[in-house]
Amino acid sequence: MGWETWLIGTISRALAYGTPLLLGTLGEIYAERSGVLNLGVEGMMVMGAFSAFATAYTTGNPWLGLLVAACVGGAFSLIHAFVSITLRANQIVSGLALTMLGLGLAGVLGRGWEGKPLEAALPALTVPHLAKIPGLGPSLFVNQNALVYLAAGLAVLLWFVLYKTKIGISIRAVGDDPATADAMGVNVFRTRYLCVLLGGVLAGLGGGYLSVAYRPAWTEGMTAGMGWIVIALTIFAFWNPLLGLVGAYFFGALYHLSYRLQPWTSPELLKTMPYVFAILVLALVARGTLKRRMNAPAALCEPYIRGEE
Amino acid sequence: MKGIWIRVLLVFLLVSGLGLMPLLIGSAAGAGGNLKAGFIYVGPIGDYGWSHAHNAARLIVEETFPWLETVYVESVPEAEVGTYIDRLIQQEKVDVVFTTSFGFMDGTLAAAQRYPEKIFAHCSGFKRAPNMATYMADFYQVYYLNGLMAGALTKSGKVGYVGAFPIPEVKRHINAFTIGVREVNPTAEVHVRWIFEWYNPAAAKEAAEALIKDGADVFAFTEDSPTVVQVAAQNGLPSFGHYSPMFDFAPDYVVSGQIVHWEKFYLDFLAKVYAGMYNTTNLQDVDYWGLLREGAVEAGAKPGMLINPKFEGALKDKKVRICIGIHLPDSTCIGVWIEISVYELVMLRLEQMKDFEMVFDPFTGPIYDRKGNLVIQPGARATYDELLTMEWAVEGVVGPWPGEP
Repeated sequence: MGWETWLIGTISRALAYGTPLLLGTLGEIYAERSGVLNLGVEGMMVMGAFSAFATAYTTGNPWLGLLVAACVGGAFSLIHAFVSITLRANQIVSGLALTMLGLGLAGVLGRGWEGKPLEAALPALTVPHLAKIPGLGPSLFVNQNALVYLAAGLAVLLWFVLYKTKIGISIRAVGDDPATADAMGVNVFRTRYLCVLLGGVLAGLGGGYLSVAYRPAWTEGMTAGMGWIVIALTIFAFWNPLLGLVGAYFFGALYHLSYRLQPWTSPELLKTMPYVFAILVLALVARGTLKRRMNAPAALCEPYIRGEE
Repeated sequence: MKGIWIRVLLVFLLVSGLGLMPLLIGSAAGAGGNLKAGFIYVGPIGDYGWSHAHNAARLIVEETFPWLETVYVESVPEAEVGTYIDRLIQQEKVDVVFTTSFGFMDGTLAAAQRYPEKIFAHCSGFKRAPNMATYMADFYQVYYLNGLMAGALTKSGKVGYVGAFPIPEVKRHINAFTIGVREVNPTAEVHVRWIFEWYNPAAAKEAAEALIKDGADVFAFTEDSPTVVQVAAQNGLPSFGHYSPMFDFAPDYVVSGQIVHWEKFYLDFLAKVYAGMYNTTNLQDVDYWGLLREGAVEAGAKPGMLINPKFEGALKDKKVRICIGIHLPDSTCIGVWIEISVYELVMLRLEQMKDFEMVFDPFTGPIYDRKGNLVIQPGARATYDELLTMEWAVEGVVGPWPGEP
């Protein structure tokens, strides 16, 4: 088999597997940019996955399922926002609690929904005309989900907002130095609430993609750790949505290759490959001159209390 | 003041989260029962796989026996099984404990010694005690039947197989499946990918996609989700369900599959405990090994549907010459050659394996591993121990095989 078929196969799988990771990562980038670490991504994703499945199954409309998933993810994230922003509690504990709550709650609510095939799955589509471009067409435009393109577009949009608009400056200011931002008239609480909410909406959507498009079925704990990969990808991307896009697809490609290359290399070694690579990049970056440009939000994990310095 | 409320809220969140997740002691209270059994599962009962099947069997026995009450604990970490057994015995006052994962073996044995007056049964292990039995239902014969069908259906000559872990149980499944495939299609290959997890739908999906990219066109698997069936169907390819009935996931593409009936064991064992035939002194040699003959496993796309009618035609069209007797490697047959369709062959083999004498078994020699070593002597059958420790890969298996001798 020629290298073209390998490349086409890898790119197209990278997009399909990378999309839920990308959605989650974009949301987490915004939450962390505003200074709130949310370790509840896994919980929000799995709640999104369940609610999307249940809605699509009952109504027969996968898009409605995704909408509900986004709302449920958002609503769930507000628990974290309330506890960590308004009550100023420890963000790590609250985020972990959200993950456990989400996994447990989705498991309980999902009783009786497992083992049911979803007739109304989001169809994979082949984009007319574009699919005929040699090389590029089959890798990007054949048998993909609409959500794949939505997520990619969202990455560009969110990058633009974060770096090129006043809203983006406010968000970054809140995450770096909330007291100064506050003094300059930015509403710290509102900004953080909205960013955490966006994080929840996107995580919910990512979960919904899993249960109505990627593998249209519900089984308990079906996110299987994706939420934690999202947390790692957020750092990997240096809190930049475009790098998040690169990171998510890159991870997707490695993930696919870890199965594709099995006949030639030790499968145990391959299985660790995506994770080893992520650690390597982080280690290199942390050592090198890039460190200054790593851009971690300075006030990450710090609750803001007005008038205290 | 505010600090207290924050703490209260955090504690509430943590407790509700923790409480919902692993500790769902679901007491399906049948009041007034005079035997109480506790089930310990390694995964969530919603996995639609291993734990789901054990729980479905629990519900059947509870329904069947009016004198029986059951409780269960799910998602129990393998290292902590002792604590959960303590709790079932001390708080829930159970008389019989079932532990349903290989990793629970040593913890269960220790508990059996700690509570000599209670009865224990451990699934898929090999250690027993006077008050501890073992039980297992194995699919290898069913995989062989599925392999016969897969060999007839593949056009590319490449059959895809997604395996969870390279352990003897899964290797036995793949070998039996491959023996079936090669019996009807001597040049076909079974391409294997491992995911190193029992349950990870995304991993199973990408492994199946990788096999499709490599040209596989019929699929079987050993892992705990319906993912492979769904991926195959999305690509218009036939597959075989595993563990739970998966026909509904792809009615046009699920050819057949493996279905477990754990209730066969639970009904028999609990009835004997209730009747006093099994007690805390005579379980040392009680080892249930459920195959087709025992009714512990079934071949089918769903219960009662051995072969999806959509594929009957293709299987009846494919003719194969088989040797009734001993088939030597140089293609001579001590016995008679007959020509039958694959459909008839499946029926024949099923009857032979269901037979009380079990007149046929797929692991009958001569069998060579893919390195050319004779692993089962001509005319001999793999022994129980050989089946349980199988590490070799049979001829026709392609792909990585960790632990290959």
